[in-house]
Amino acid sequence: MACAQVPLDEQQVTEKGPLGKEQTLPALHPARKEDRFFVPYKSPPEDGSPAEVVFDETLQRCLDSYLHHAPRGLDLATMPSSPAVADMQRCVHRAVFLTFLRMATHKESKESFLTPSVFGEIIYENFLFDIPKFLDLCVLFGKGNSQLLHKMIENIFTNQPSYYVDLDETVPTVLQIFDTIMDKCGLHCEGAAAMEPMKLNAHKQPTAMTMSQQDLVDLVLYLCDSTTTIQAFLDIFPAACSSFHSHGFLSRLVSFYESAVPDLEKAVRKRNFDATGLQEDLWKRLSHSCRKIVEMAQLLLHHTCLQPILEGDETRTSYLLQGVQSAWDSVGRRRPH
Amino acid sequence: MSPPRLTGALRSFSTVSKKEDFNEQLYDLKTKRLKRRELFAREGLTWQKIVHLCSEHQDNAKQQAELKSLLQAAKEIVGTEHGQAAVESAAVFLFETFHNKDHVGTEETRAIKQMFGPFPSSAAEASCACVARLVAPLGDSRVENFIQSLSSRHNPQRGPSFGRNIAFSYDCYALDPLEELPCSEVNEENVSLDF
Repeated sequence: MACAQVPLDEQQVTEKGPLGKEQTLPALHPARKEDRFFVPYKSPPEDGSPAEVVFDETLQRCLDSYLHHAPRGLDLATMPSSPAVADMQRCVHRAVFLTFLRMATHKESKESFLTPSVFGEIIYENFLFDIPKFLDLCVLFGKGNSQLLHKMIENIFTNQPSYYVDLDETVPTVLQIFDTIMDKCGLHCEGAAAMEPMKLNAHKQPTAMTMSQQDLVDLVLYLCDSTTTIQAFLDIFPAACSSFHSHGFLSRLVSFYESAVPDLEKAVRKRNFDATGLQEDLWKRLSHSCRKIVEMAQLLLHHTCLQPILEGDETRTSYLLQGVQSAWDSVGRRRPH
Repeated sequence: MSPPRLTGALRSFSTVSKKEDFNEQLYDLKTKRLKRRELFAREGLTWQKIVHLCSEHQDNAKQQAELKSLLQAAKEIVGTEHGQAAVESAAVFLFETFHNKDHVGTEETRAIKQMFGPFPSSAAEASCACVARLVAPLGDSRVENFIQSLSSRHNPQRGPSFGRNIAFSYDCYALDPLEELPCSEVNEENVSLDF
């Protein structure tokens, strides 16, 4: 039997093998995986042992496919119309979250735990978590479970700092997404692309006013999803703000807002749409995206600029004194000497 | 199909995640059902044990007819392409499912569908009636003890499930626009300026 107080990654377990003969294996051995078959999640038409999670690829695919395809709160058709399917969807939703929560916990109890460094290595090497997954988890579960998600992501980043490196590598791709949206709108974007000479036929490129309706819809949906997802991630895991800030995310966000938002707003306001209610829906999504961009800017400013100042004792004192002075001045009184 | 998503683009264009190919083969529910049946067949409850239980206190000819009917219903549910072992295993599943039920309810329908996929409801009704007739002379407690002593479905080996005390919220992000679409802009193009 497994002995308590020894991490699972160091434990040896003696049990009967397939031929009935006793054999001793590491607790985390592929042979100890339960013989199951998980199917990937499909948008509507358990838990396992650590060995299950690490070695069962069908479980990993099942979880991954849920993150890919599960409807977000902002999707056009969120909940299935059938009550039975909706009920099953809720069960799956909770089960997936609890499975990820369990995967993010290296110490479940006094008897069942992993050495933190081994835990960090297992989750990273087996891609049990990666940056897109953190973003998916935040946008899918963050609204009502932000504290649990914060603890979960913080624990993972603490035990596996390589995720900070991955995050750093991901931010340019995120920035590229905003550039792509600008490009699709026929707008000149800042950054690397701005250094390139403009093509002679650039004026023929479609704009938000002239592109096909489906392209405009896709663009607004993409913007809405991207801004909601990034804002949720930064809100739940503020430690990520510094990675975004170091890539000049704030200034790129500002120039994106100034350039792309007016064009998109104009297109949504002025164009004729085939379906009833589509114009209003697109407007809501665009306006929602604007709110999220503003909130992202606030989070970045707060956690990378204001928070460090407020946390410094000397600075805090001087700010307080300045505040008191301003208050005295505003009521027209002089400070007593 | 999923709408365009940030994380989809990150998976495609960044190097920080594992590249997965969700091909159709992976969506094979048949494989999952086969695995489920295989695991169920490994449990301690077998068709022979059920036959033995039912033979103890019943008229042999009548009981044989009921068991045969149950097997026939199981065959209709599991599909004709499967062998005797699969049919008997299905009959065991039906016996276990209906031993304390007097009709085919939602839970039973769901359990059968999860195990075998789509099935004729008449076969489920027939198997439920057969099982009721088979267990009637035996007494509820005797059948319950028999099932509990042999079935792992009633004797979970694992401890309490992870997360049962965790308060989970189903809240999700909803659209929160900064401002409404200006009324004057709606259908502005349709306003006639031809005075």
